[in-house]
Amino acid sequence: MPTVKAGEGRLEHLDEQELVAACLAGRAGAFDLVVERHRRSVYQLCYRFVGNHEDASDLSQDVFLRAYRGLNRFRGGSSLATWLYRIGVNVCLNRVSLKKPVTEDIDARQHVDARSESQVERVLREERGAKVRAAIAQLPPKQRATLVLRMYQELSHEEIAQVLGSSVGAVKANFFHALGNLKKILGRQEDLA
Amino acid sequence: MAHLAPEQFVDIADGVLAESARDVAPHLAACAACRQQLADVRAMMAEAVDVEVPEPSPLFWEQLSSGVRAAVAEEPPPRRAWREWLLQPKVWAPSLAAAVTIVLLFVVQPRESLTPATIPSTPLPIGGRSGLPSLEPSSPLGASDDPQLGLVADYGTTLSWDEMRDEMALSDSSGSSDAVLDVLTVDEQRELQRLLAEEMSQPAVPENRS
Repeated sequence: MPTVKAGEGRLEHLDEQELVAACLAGRAGAFDLVVERHRRSVYQLCYRFVGNHEDASDLSQDVFLRAYRGLNRFRGGSSLATWLYRIGVNVCLNRVSLKKPVTEDIDARQHVDARSESQVERVLREERGAKVRAAIAQLPPKQRATLVLRMYQELSHEEIAQVLGSSVGAVKANFFHALGNLKKILGRQEDLA
Repeated sequence: MAHLAPEQFVDIADGVLAESARDVAPHLAACAACRQQLADVRAMMAEAVDVEVPEPSPLFWEQLSSGVRAAVAEEPPPRRAWREWLLQPKVWAPSLAAAVTIVLLFVVQPRESLTPATIPSTPLPIGGRSGLPSLEPSSPLGASDDPQLGLVADYGTTLSWDEMRDEMALSDSSGSSDAVLDVLTVDEQRELQRLLAEEMSQPAVPENRS
């Protein structure tokens, strides 16, 4: 990692390498800014993994705490976001191996812009979205991680392979099987309804 | 007939591989199962991509940040990795200077202090040994300036040619360059001596000494 000046400039103007260097140099507020920049994407990753707000909130905090502890190992080979996803996936995989996912009720509300659709359309979309989220939360962990990183965090297969420590071929196969299993789970839910 | 591999389905759905590509087009045209599988992959990707994470309360983000801040406050501060720390000029520059100083102290200074006043600086009485003609050097040998030359001078004053050869363990084995000394003619030995004397007459250290 190249030597980065950490003690100069306003924190808001630092790029991520400089921001990490500022954290390591002990500049006040530097890590707060890392959290502020990445908290939404980390929370969403965790939410898609566990399917409920409470666990996603706990996991997000855990991800940032682990990131803080390991900040001196961040080499800048990937973006800070990808590095945080890697930590996030590991934290989530550890959690799901210990705990069966508790997904929120189908009725769980989400904020959407209601101006562009009717009330009925909005409710139907929310219901369908909740079903898909619940189905994703039932996928085997590696397939879930692959699907979430590919579909929602928009990582390439190569980046996912980096995050998960597997080959690109394995990532594509996991993605394919994740989609197949998602179809089966959603089909079962419809049969039960 | 082999069906398409999972990777090929994903590549086609991602748009990385064209359906009309030579590797897949003939099979897709002939296999209804693979066409259906490809349609399912595309449908599930389209269904999944629209699913949004419910937006938490606007207060949540600040709660998350303050929770992290409180947890981090109980942690020891992260430190630079030692390799990165070592690469900082303010760390390696003094270390390098110290290393150079140590090298100078232990290598250069002893070498200078070894320059002995006791090493004879008189011209070597090379001539007259083993029947070789005498040759007076025209300038000081400079042996006092160089301990290695002093050693040669010692050999020259105390040992005969044969003793010197034995002392220096010169080999007579065939092919040895040392054996050449034994087969030199008198003229060649004289020329060799002249060259050696000329070489040894050069001061080892050109600078002036007190």
